[in-house]
Amino acid sequence: MTDLFGNLALGFNTVFQFIDWTIPLLGVTIPIPVNILLCLIGALVGTLVGVLPGIGTVATVAMLLPITFGLPPVGALIMLAGIYYGAQYGGSTTSILVNIPGEAGSVVTTLDGHQMAKQGRAGPALAIAAIGSFFAGCVATILIALLGAPLTKFALQFGPAEYFSLMTLGLVFAVVLAKGSVLKAIAMIVFGLLLSMVGSDLETGASRLAFNIPELADGLGFATVAMGVFGFAEIIRNLDAGAEKGRELVQQKVTGLMPTVADLLAAAPAIGRGTMLGSILGILPGGGAVISSFAAYTFEKKISNNPSQFGKGSIKGVAAPESANNAAAQTSFIPLLTLGIPPNAVMALMVGAMTIHGIVPGPQVMQKQPELVWGMIASMWIGNLMLLVINLPLVGIWVQLLRVPYHLLYPCIVIFCAIGIYSVNNAPADVIMAGAFGLVGYWLIKHDFEPAPLLLGMVLGPLMEENLRRAMLISRGDATVFLTRPLSAALLAVSLALLILTFLPMLRKKREEVFVESEN
Amino acid sequence: MSETTGHAQGNPKKGLIRGPQDFWGGLALVALALFAFYASSDLPGIRGFQFGPGTAPRLFASLLLVLGAGVALTGLLTPGAPLERYHLRGPFFVTLAILSFAFTIRPLGLIIAAFSSFMIAAFGSTEQRWGQTLIVGIAITAFCCFLFPYALGLPFQLQPRFMLQ
Repeated sequence: MTDLFGNLALGFNTVFQFIDWTIPLLGVTIPIPVNILLCLIGALVGTLVGVLPGIGTVATVAMLLPITFGLPPVGALIMLAGIYYGAQYGGSTTSILVNIPGEAGSVVTTLDGHQMAKQGRAGPALAIAAIGSFFAGCVATILIALLGAPLTKFALQFGPAEYFSLMTLGLVFAVVLAKGSVLKAIAMIVFGLLLSMVGSDLETGASRLAFNIPELADGLGFATVAMGVFGFAEIIRNLDAGAEKGRELVQQKVTGLMPTVADLLAAAPAIGRGTMLGSILGILPGGGAVISSFAAYTFEKKISNNPSQFGKGSIKGVAAPESANNAAAQTSFIPLLTLGIPPNAVMALMVGAMTIHGIVPGPQVMQKQPELVWGMIASMWIGNLMLLVINLPLVGIWVQLLRVPYHLLYPCIVIFCAIGIYSVNNAPADVIMAGAFGLVGYWLIKHDFEPAPLLLGMVLGPLMEENLRRAMLISRGDATVFLTRPLSAALLAVSLALLILTFLPMLRKKREEVFVESEN
Repeated sequence: MSETTGHAQGNPKKGLIRGPQDFWGGLALVALALFAFYASSDLPGIRGFQFGPGTAPRLFASLLLVLGAGVALTGLLTPGAPLERYHLRGPFFVTLAILSFAFTIRPLGLIIAAFSSFMIAAFGSTEQRWGQTLIVGIAITAFCCFLFPYALGLPFQLQPRFMLQ
C-alpha cells in the first residue's frame, strides 16, 4: 500500500515538473509545466479526433508519432495517451448531438444519447457521459496503479514459452471479440503475421520476402501500414459513401447541462457496471474501447427491468457504454506497461512511440524507468479531470467543427497523413507504401475483412516468432515444452477453450446478436 | 455495414457462388499465401532443433492458405453478401495525391508538395466549390509550412531544391 502511494507520488511529481523556458526574442525565462501542457494538448487533439468522423485514433496517433521526436519520452507518451482517452470523450459528444459516432467506441451511444437529445435532454446526456467517463477514468487509473507492480513481478517469471502462449491467447481474444466472421478474423491475423515477416530475419539477417527492394529490407513500418489501412482506406471509403449525407445537426441550443438528481440516481449503477465491464475487457488482450461499449450496453439492457426503454432515450444506455469505453481505453495500458504486449492497434503504436525513444516496453520499464510509467498513469487521471472541466463548456465549439464539410476536410487529412508518414524516416518510399496499403485497406473493407486483427497480428508477429524460436532452442527442439510448462499449458488451454466456444452454435448466435443489435 | 446486410437480404444471389464477397476475398488470400510460399521457398528451413529464417514465413503462409480456402468455401456454399461496387474516382485521386506528395517532397519542397497534393486529393470528391477549396488549400499549406519545420523543428525544406542553389 505504501508502495502504491509512493509510486503515485512519483507519478504526480513527474507530471507537475516545471521546465525553464526562455521566451525567444524577449529573453525572459519562465518555468512552464511541460507535461501538463502536453497532457492538455493530447486530450484536446483527442477530443477533436473523436468529434470528427472519418479520422480515427489509430491514424491520428500514427500521424503524430513524428511530432513526438523532439519531446522528452515522458511527455511524448503522456500526449499520445491523452489522444486515446480524449477521443472517447469527443466521440460521445457527436453521438449524442448529431447521431454520428466520431469514434467506433461510441457507436452505441447514438442509440439512446441521440434520442435524449431529440427530447431536449442533450445537456443531461452530455453531462452523464462526461461524468461516467470521468468516474471510469478514476477507477481505471487506480486499477492500473494497483495491478501494475504485481503483474510486473509476475511477468518477470515468464520464459519464452509462456510469452508465446500468452500472445496466442491475446490473438484468440482478438478473434473472439472481433466483429463478424470468426474465420475471417483469424485469416486477417495470419495475414498480419505474414506481413510482419517481411524484412531481415532477426537471427540470421537473411532477407525475407523483400524481393531485393532496399526499402523493404527493414520490414514494413507498423505506422505505415496503420496509416494506410486506417487513414487512407477510411478516406477512400468515405468518398464512396458520400460522407456528407445524414449530417443534419441538432440546431437547438444545448441548455440545462446539469442532470437532475433522479438522472444521477438512475445512471449511477449503470456507470458502476459499465466501468467494471470496461476495465476487465480493456485488460484482456484483443479487447478495447469498442467492444466494451457494445458489451456494456447489451449487459445493461439484459438486466434492466424494462428493456423496452432502451433505444428511446434511456439515460442508462448512455451512462454504461460511455463509462465502459473510457475504462477500457485506459486499462488497455496494463498489458503494455507490464508485459510489453500491446492488446490493440493504438497500444501497438504506443510501442512504436516507445521504441522511437529507445524504450523497450516490458516488465523492465517499470523497474528501470518508474517515473515514465507512473508519470503516465498520473497524467491519465489529470487528463480525465481536464476533459471533464474543459469539455462541457466547449461543446458548442466541437459541434461547430462538425459543420466543416467533408470535401474540405479530407484533402487536409490526406496531406497531414502524408507529411506524418514522410517525417518518420524522411523516406518518400514510406509514403508510397502507405498509399498502397490504403488500397489494400479499401479492398479489405469491400470484402468485409476487419483491419484491426491484421494490425495486431503484424505487431505481435516478430515477438511471437522470436519467442517461439527461443523456446524451441532452449528445449532443444522439443515442441512439447509449451505443454509441459504449467503456466504456458494453462494459457494455451484457455485459448483453445475460447476458440471452441466461439464455434459452438449457441454462443455464435449470441455473439451475432450483440453486434447486430449495436448496428441497427 | 447496414447497407451490405440490406443488400444480402434484399436479393439473394442466384448462381453457383452464393456469397461472392467471401468467395473472392478468400480466393485472393489463397493467392497471396501461395505467392508468399513461393517467395520464401529459397530460405533455409529447420536445421536440427533450430528454426531457420524460412520456417515462420512458410508456417504462416500455409495457415493463411488453409484459412483463405475456408473463407472461399464458406462463400461458395453459404449465402452471403454480393460484391460491393468499387468506385474509381475517390481511390484514384487520393492515391494520386499521395504519390504526388512522395515524388515532389524531395525535389520541390514542402510548399509545392503539400499544396499540389491537396488540390489533387480534392478532385476525389464531386462536391468541391473550387474558390473555397483553393482558399482552404492555401491556408492549410501555410499552416503546414509553419507547423512542421518551425514549430516542431522537423527537417523539412520549404522551397524547391533548385532555388536553394
